[in-house]
Amino acid sequence: MADKYAKIGDYTAAEAMVINAARFLKNFDCQKGLIGTGLPLVATQLAKLLYSPNMIIFVETGQADAKPEELPISIMDSRLTYGSSWQMGDPEGLFPLSRGEIDFGFIGGAQIDKYGNVNSTFIGGDYNKPAKRLAGTAGAVDIGVFAKTTVTLMAHQKRRVVEKVDYLTTPGWMVKKWPSGEMVRREEMGMQGGPNAFISTLGIMKYDEDSRIMYVDKIFPGVTPDDIKNSTGFDIDVSRASENEQLLLEEIKILREKIDPLNVYGMR
Amino acid sequence: MQKYFFDKHKSNKENKLVSLKEAISTINDGDVLFLGSFVDTRRPMAAAYEIVRQAKKGLILLAECSLAEDILVGNGCAIAWRGCYTGMATFGLSPATLRKIEKREFFPDEIGHIDIILGSMAAMVGSPFVATSATLGSDVVNEEYSRNEYLKNAAGNPEMIPHQKFVLMEDPFYGKGTIKLQPAMPADVAIIHVQQAGEKGTARIFGSLGFDHYFVHGARRVILTAEQVLPEEYLRRDPNRNQIPCTAVDMVVEVPWGGHPSQVQNFYDIDIPFIKEYVSSAKTEDGFASWIEEWVINLDCRDKYLDKLGAGRIQGLRTLPPYGYRQRFR
Amino acid sequence: MKSKVVSLKEAIQEIQNGDCIFFGGIVEDRRPIAAVCEMIRQQKKNLVLLGTCSIPGDLLAGGQCLGAYRGCYTSNGAFGISPNIKRLSESGKIVIDDIGHLDLSLGLLAAMAGAPFIATKTCLGTDVLNPEYDNLSKARAIARDARTLPDKKYQLMEDPFYDMGLVQLYPAIQCDVCVCHVQQVGEEGTVRIDGSLTFDHYAVHAAKKVIVTAEQVVPEEYLRRDPNRNQIPCTSVDMIVEVPWGGHPGQVYNFYDMDIPFLKEYAQGCVTEEGFNQWADKWIFDAKDHEGYLERLGATRLEKLRSIPPYGYKPRRQGGI
Repeated sequence: MADKYAKIGDYTAAEAMVINAARFLKNFDCQKGLIGTGLPLVATQLAKLLYSPNMIIFVETGQADAKPEELPISIMDSRLTYGSSWQMGDPEGLFPLSRGEIDFGFIGGAQIDKYGNVNSTFIGGDYNKPAKRLAGTAGAVDIGVFAKTTVTLMAHQKRRVVEKVDYLTTPGWMVKKWPSGEMVRREEMGMQGGPNAFISTLGIMKYDEDSRIMYVDKIFPGVTPDDIKNSTGFDIDVSRASENEQLLLEEIKILREKIDPLNVYGMR
Repeated sequence: MQKYFFDKHKSNKENKLVSLKEAISTINDGDVLFLGSFVDTRRPMAAAYEIVRQAKKGLILLAECSLAEDILVGNGCAIAWRGCYTGMATFGLSPATLRKIEKREFFPDEIGHIDIILGSMAAMVGSPFVATSATLGSDVVNEEYSRNEYLKNAAGNPEMIPHQKFVLMEDPFYGKGTIKLQPAMPADVAIIHVQQAGEKGTARIFGSLGFDHYFVHGARRVILTAEQVLPEEYLRRDPNRNQIPCTAVDMVVEVPWGGHPSQVQNFYDIDIPFIKEYVSSAKTEDGFASWIEEWVINLDCRDKYLDKLGAGRIQGLRTLPPYGYRQRFR
Repeated sequence: MKSKVVSLKEAIQEIQNGDCIFFGGIVEDRRPIAAVCEMIRQQKKNLVLLGTCSIPGDLLAGGQCLGAYRGCYTSNGAFGISPNIKRLSESGKIVIDDIGHLDLSLGLLAAMAGAPFIATKTCLGTDVLNPEYDNLSKARAIARDARTLPDKKYQLMEDPFYDMGLVQLYPAIQCDVCVCHVQQVGEEGTVRIDGSLTFDHYAVHAAKKVIVTAEQVVPEEYLRRDPNRNQIPCTSVDMIVEVPWGGHPGQVYNFYDMDIPFLKEYAQGCVTEEGFNQWADKWIFDAKDHEGYLERLGATRLEKLRSIPPYGYKPRRQGGI
């Protein structure tokens, strides 16, 4: 009998990240999620097929309970319309958030800090002349404020996983209180929720309940604690880490053949 | 600290069909209740009759106090109301409501029509309030006439009622001067009668949406009664044509003719003689009681109600395409 | 009554330099691309773009029509950060004032409802509310009529009604001109949209002037047989232009899917200023008008993009490109 587990080299880092994220979404079966654009959408489609068939999907372009037959290239793709319960616009896609109905938000980003704050606006330089301009707030800020919890998906690199984000787009556990900008716990702003996990190309990070600081919870097979330390821009706690179960050949097969057969997302 | 109006645990079931009795039994005494659409169009009449049969008490009504609400007021199910209209259009003022207000057994709190729209809109978007110039200069903003405190004390869930009826402030953005902050209007329960619903709760409405497309999102629980329950999948072939998403709905009840005697576009027209008879009966306490006995208490299921109306009468109300109503010359 | 149906050129002539402008659709879905190309041909200047940037905003930026941008998205979706916006932003040559996606929704909702502002908790705790990054006054200085924009970006206060604590008062978003590309419009202006309405059903009520470009202009009476299926009333529309394929290279649900190779070529070609200028010469100036643009694309390419029922798009497995 052939082994059901994949071997290192059978898959790419992006595929490991997406499949592990799909597994993580088991926690959200029968719940309502607002899904951001990019790889979160791929992981969600895979999860619906394998692990959480009763997850209810909202996206910002205003579909309720979306059930796309073909993988959308982004959350603006009209592939999300057919089969959904209703089709309105962006406001109606976002109002479930501000009403407090969204159980989890699932987003990507460019930079994440130790409190789970995410940046998708700019990196380096200053606001009016950034070294690198990014996409902007999109729905990421609203998801961070209103979703009951948030999962972030991002490649694990030293310049991305940092002590402090250059621009705080999606609020995590410690946020800015204006006009002074001092960092305070999010509850102080009357904000519920908070980040749940950061799933990267190397592992799954959670947040310490007391300090609110990110630590490594799971390490993907083939990755060492030092790999994670070296790819993180602050001194991350790896003492609580355990190894995650290796990917199943079946998971890779479904991702490649059913979810993204044309490699639209360039994961391989 | 409370961030939202309520923690909304909407049912994610694939099949939300229940009986009318079951659906109405989830309403608690003292709930803040919104009944869908308005005046004499697409009213959840069968649901209102069932509320009377189950003898609910202390309900606080939102929006309009018209055909469906008047029955609840007359029967003593409702104790107060916040809204903008106590009439039945062509058929005069809401008879039982007037009687009960004059006897101080029912307490109205007046706001404007736009206030209701903005209040339900704010609840829909999860905002505590929205700014407006509506009703400024009128007695709607007369503090003496505010019954906010009464509503808050009467409500089973006082957090559904704001601390104040309104607040005035200066507009800091566009120099519009004094404006009113209109608080959101959340509800414990919204009951909406629609033409078509899927078993999971997706709904298709024909004709005016009333306030329904806002209130379903600002209500803790949503009950749909529908002329027809159709395969959910059928409605999902054209999501642009649906007005209520399944994610907003908790219970679906199939009740053909559930809106009679109001009109339901594409299904049946308004039953004018029936409403006239109600209006004249309900003017007195005794007349109202015998009307309720005859049409509500004695007819404990919809079949009996329809049989009492009779096939001929029903047939005469059926609408015709392409208009969606019944042309009067027919 | 004067007919609302005009040529694309006439419609775009109504837009003045310094206008605050809002485009319908989002990212690559139902964007008024043909209208934007015409704006570049007419060399509009100092426009203040509200909403999401993406392809139309990026084209305007590259074509030097844009003075400032207030919105929540400067990316071309799956095709990377909007290249012209990125280049201009990184060289400090464009004013950007970031707001949230929900801010945008609530601001347009307030404008639609005639409310000067609405309360929300969104953006609390984030740099969107950072006073140092507040570029509203710069945008106001560029706008032809500063009063179209609010006096300040937001104001904080305690919720007096429901104990929600600190909230942001968010001002209405209004604009001088809104340009939407839709599937069908009647000759009086009633609009039927298929697929996401994006912000269009709010924005048309928040604009002083509304231009609708449509795949098809159909008899008004046809659309009025099912008013529940229409999303924009004729009473909110000032000008109508029939522009088949007016949303290319984006997608228009039930009509055509997105042209992925075209979008990729744009993203790669427009990284440099010279690259954009070459692109604009080819597809905007040398093409002369929208008909010229379509001729350049060729019938076969367009036909491959056509949507099929019941999906409303062209399934990739059936040869979509």
